[in-house]
Amino acid sequence: MLDELTPADDNVEDASPETSDTGEASEATGATEVPGGEEESVSDGVAESSDEVETGDEATDATDAADDDDDDDSNVEVAGDGAPRRTFLTQVLAGTVGAVVGLVPVLSGLVFFLDPLLRDDSGGGEGAEGGGNRDADGFVKLAVSRSALKPGGAPQQVTVVDDLVDAWNKFPNVPIGSVWLHRTDGGDVVAFNTVCPHLGCAVEYRNVQNDFYCPCHLSAFKLDGTKNNPIPPRDMDSLEVKADTGDEIWVQFKNFRGAIAEKVEV
Amino acid sequence: MIRSFLAWLDDRTGYAAFMHEALYERVPGGARWRYVWGSTLVFTFSIQLITGFFLWTAYSPSASTAWESVYYIQNEMTFGSVVRGLHHFTAQLMVVLMGVHLVQVIIDGAYKAPREVNFWLGLVLMQIVLGLSLTGYLLPWDQKGYYATKVATKIMGAAPVVGTEVQQLVQGGSEYGHHTLTRFFALHAGLLPASLIAFLGLHLYVFRRHGLTVHDPNHAPETTFWPDQVLKDGIACLAVLLLVLGLAIWKGAELSAPANPSESYAAARPEWYFLFLFRFLKFEFIEHFGLAFGSIYVPGALMGIVAVMPLVGRLAWGHKFNVYFTWSVTIGIAGLTLLAFYEDGTDESHQAAILEAHRDAERIKELAGGPNKIPVTGAVTLLREDPFTQGPRLFAKHCFSCHRYDGHDGTGRLVYTTDAEGNQVVSAPTAVDLGQFGSPEWMKSVVVDYANHFSVLKNAEWFKNKGDDDVLDPDGSDMADWSGDSDSLNSAQNADNVKALVAFLVAGTGHKENGAARAHDEKLVARGRVLAVDGDWDGAINGTSCADCHTSVGEPKFTEVSEDDADGVPNISGYGSAAWLKSFLSNPGAAQHYGDKNQMPSYAKAMTEAEMDLLVRWLVGDYQPTKVERYEDRRRAAQPSVPAAKPDAE
Repeated sequence: MLDELTPADDNVEDASPETSDTGEASEATGATEVPGGEEESVSDGVAESSDEVETGDEATDATDAADDDDDDDSNVEVAGDGAPRRTFLTQVLAGTVGAVVGLVPVLSGLVFFLDPLLRDDSGGGEGAEGGGNRDADGFVKLAVSRSALKPGGAPQQVTVVDDLVDAWNKFPNVPIGSVWLHRTDGGDVVAFNTVCPHLGCAVEYRNVQNDFYCPCHLSAFKLDGTKNNPIPPRDMDSLEVKADTGDEIWVQFKNFRGAIAEKVEV
Repeated sequence: MIRSFLAWLDDRTGYAAFMHEALYERVPGGARWRYVWGSTLVFTFSIQLITGFFLWTAYSPSASTAWESVYYIQNEMTFGSVVRGLHHFTAQLMVVLMGVHLVQVIIDGAYKAPREVNFWLGLVLMQIVLGLSLTGYLLPWDQKGYYATKVATKIMGAAPVVGTEVQQLVQGGSEYGHHTLTRFFALHAGLLPASLIAFLGLHLYVFRRHGLTVHDPNHAPETTFWPDQVLKDGIACLAVLLLVLGLAIWKGAELSAPANPSESYAAARPEWYFLFLFRFLKFEFIEHFGLAFGSIYVPGALMGIVAVMPLVGRLAWGHKFNVYFTWSVTIGIAGLTLLAFYEDGTDESHQAAILEAHRDAERIKELAGGPNKIPVTGAVTLLREDPFTQGPRLFAKHCFSCHRYDGHDGTGRLVYTTDAEGNQVVSAPTAVDLGQFGSPEWMKSVVVDYANHFSVLKNAEWFKNKGDDDVLDPDGSDMADWSGDSDSLNSAQNADNVKALVAFLVAGTGHKENGAARAHDEKLVARGRVLAVDGDWDGAINGTSCADCHTSVGEPKFTEVSEDDADGVPNISGYGSAAWLKSFLSNPGAAQHYGDKNQMPSYAKAMTEAEMDLLVRWLVGDYQPTKVERYEDRRRAAQPSVPAAKPDAE
């Protein structure tokens, strides 16, 4: 079958445009043939191709290529040499209609795609505020009691459980994140989101160094959350702990944007 | 007949000229192996299109079905692991081949006039391929892809001006969720491959327009693409196929545990070909310039320099600069990649994290493959409610600072501290190792070697500061005294009795072995009960029984003893059983437990009831049977002085 694809020598040359003299020749012919006006050009093309049917295989190759060039050239010329007003209006109209039919679906799609930026509740996702386990101020009760934390002792990682809204789903009472709780020597409880403010891995506690440490890019923080090396862009994200709750610990759990120096809620 | 049909078809379509164009491209200097790279890239892309389509037929992009459908593809569907494996490994190979192709194009000067535009088209293709690999990495929604991709989107968020908006658009919201997956999938299976096809078409078209970049046209007689170069390309593609097929079959594509936003993934790493960038970001001096500098500006500048190579190449020294630049970057990337591999390979905590991740992956496969399948809430709930994987984590959270489990913290990690000279040393536990808790060895050790069994308490500060109330000294403790009566209790004549008592105590724990109840010698257990309650011993201890002090010992299972009835010694009815453990953990200082001798904190207020259940069920072996191995016994590595249970004589 492949033998029948006419691998004649002249055609091999034809494949490389630099050496394609047949192509250039017919291009020139094409240019002279077209007097101007789109309709004429089209009918011209039709006439040519009906000619070609009779000319046989070899000739078809060459004139086919020329035919393609014809159309291109005719368009350029119409645009270039000050066409009649009627044609100009047609062009404007055609262009406008084309733009409208093209842009309406594209733009409506784009606006749809921008939904996360345009809607009020930003589409939900983990940690959406106001879950069923939160009080009016957005505090959520943790499973750990104040008395279970030793003042000045090692920090304790605690999972935060609340309702999670993800687009069309609401998952009641599931882990939505976790916090590091540390009770200072003075007995106060401080809380940090475990998400590293650098690039979002989870910060771990190292008992040898007695510090917080991120295993991804080696960010390190002191137990009070201040950064201990230049890798993180800011200190760990502290969370507000509700005052006067007795032995209970209530934390205002939030997530924050990573990778920037300011602490901005997501 | 055929000939005339083809002639007709050619007349109507012009296919002959097209095929001719495609097949009879001139190859001056003869077919060469060095020309195969581009073709292998086209081939890898074809593999991705084909396998990608078939994966698509079984994939479900949502936060509670993505991992699940990929699990099903990988483990349950016919040939699923092969198709996914091909897609997985071909994706990686594509990136490698792309790098080779780019380096070769630069070295050969194939980016110079008249091929500048094609070079740029190639760079566009490169961005598309990288986009495909980034979006594809998230789609399984496993821990690995989830946390690695989170880093990538956070980097997007660090971009100047529009960072946050871009990040939100890509994520489909302010946090990861269903819409992150639907968007990534639309990019991965829709926009990006369509763009790739379009740009690949342009790339090939312009390539054919200018032909091969030939350095030595006199190398061999000129030939055409078909069949000489096609054969070489075909052989190269065959090699590519064999490689990815081999990897798919023998290595298999990884699927780590389902994404869990509330559980950290300490083993998080990007795909290996991005490791250099990951390692680059860890340099502190890079961080001084801010995150955007290392993660956006530097890579952007490198790409920018590559993009202007065709212009630089016009200068006298231009090509030389481009080649040296390419080699430097290549060597830099290779060096950083090796450095990252080396550091991770020698980092004990990273290795522990990888092992933990691997165990989770194996375990979730067992759970998801169980008769109950995966609940609609997703596979992540299976793992959350699994004592075998959560117990160790809870142990490492709450227990490891005093106790150990087989010498480690429950999750295979040794516990370290710093000594007086500031060296990092293995930390001595201050409470007993629970790795063998409730086993016959443990029980025997408690009975016949009490003081030694709990001698690890001597490491504790409270023990050092205690008064004369020595729980380990026979003079201060009746239990140490009785157990230490080696002439009698440990004598040969009582050997069978000890065995029976141990059997009774072990039966009382109700511990399971890998989810299955232990077999007990009922006669031995009954005899042990008699010993415990009536003290029917031989020798000097005859007539002394457990029940003399532990009055509730004869109860068949744990029986609460109220504060008023407590007898000042631990309630050991159902000692070590789940019910006993829960009562004990909730209040170790209760009168029926350690009373005023207690040093252990109560956990009723430190964990939820569900968490305590998981911890206890893990300790008593009550979970769906598993083939995942226990963490290595590290008692020896942890500390020679740790009083490991004495090996049983039997």
